[in-house]
Amino acid sequence: MKILKLLLLLVVLGIAAATTVIYSGIVNVAADEPHSDLVYWLLEETRETSIKKAAEDIEVPDLVDPELLLSGGVDYNFMCASCHLKPGQKESDMSVGLYPAPPNLTISAESHEGHEHGDDAQKARKNFWVIKHGIKASGMPAWGKTHDDKRIWAMVAFINRLPTLTPEQYQIITAIE
Amino acid sequence: MKTNLIKTISKIALVLIPTLTLSMTASAHDPKLHAKKPEKADCSKMDHSKMDMKDPVAMAMMKKCMKQAEASSDKMDGKMDHSKMMDDKMDDKDMKKDMKKDEHDNH
Repeated sequence: MKILKLLLLLVVLGIAAATTVIYSGIVNVAADEPHSDLVYWLLEETRETSIKKAAEDIEVPDLVDPELLLSGGVDYNFMCASCHLKPGQKESDMSVGLYPAPPNLTISAESHEGHEHGDDAQKARKNFWVIKHGIKASGMPAWGKTHDDKRIWAMVAFINRLPTLTPEQYQIITAIE
Repeated sequence: MKTNLIKTISKIALVLIPTLTLSMTASAHDPKLHAKKPEKADCSKMDHSKMDMKDPVAMAMMKKCMKQAEASSDKMDGKMDHSKMMDDKMDDKDMKKDMKKDEHDNH
């Protein structure tokens, strides 16, 4: 009985603490004020584990067809480049202003600091899932609501080759016909 | 007392109004950076000697530039209506004939 009372007290205290935090306004939600290291680590680990698990059964198609680069390149330029940058570009208003900062996709995954990216297939699965479903409260939209899987795989194919492209190659591939 | 107050207010207004007007129109940087215009491929920058034609990137670039070249030549063909040009020639000839006729009639 005593244990039950103690548990009940803990639950009530927990709810009271959560309510205080929510309604006192002490949590700063400003994007120009970074999380503490612990909170950032918690959120990043949760995100990466969630994506890895959700994407593990996705089958990766053949992504070497040049047509995929052409279709994916045009979409990337219009939908992604303002946040994830173009070859030769170091930052943009969006890449500086968003928090968490969107990854710079013009550099190879190995050059990114932080979490593991896995092999080529794992990277492709992850990119496909993130483009299709987006990420909550991060600024990353769910493009799957308006784009079919074929177009999303084309973007994945383009992103695979993006770190190897020069600004001139990027201009040609992403230009409108 | 009143005139002093009016003078102070008008001085403040003189400083504040231009400052507010200017700050409203000021922007952090060139708005052109946000404009997204559809660009044509700049194929003149393609260096064929350095390209590996088996590489999907090179193949994609070649495809894009070939399509663009075809599209622009089609446009050129579309603009020139040969049938009309023939008619124009005929019209020219007819006009010249008429002019000669007129000149002859004048004699």
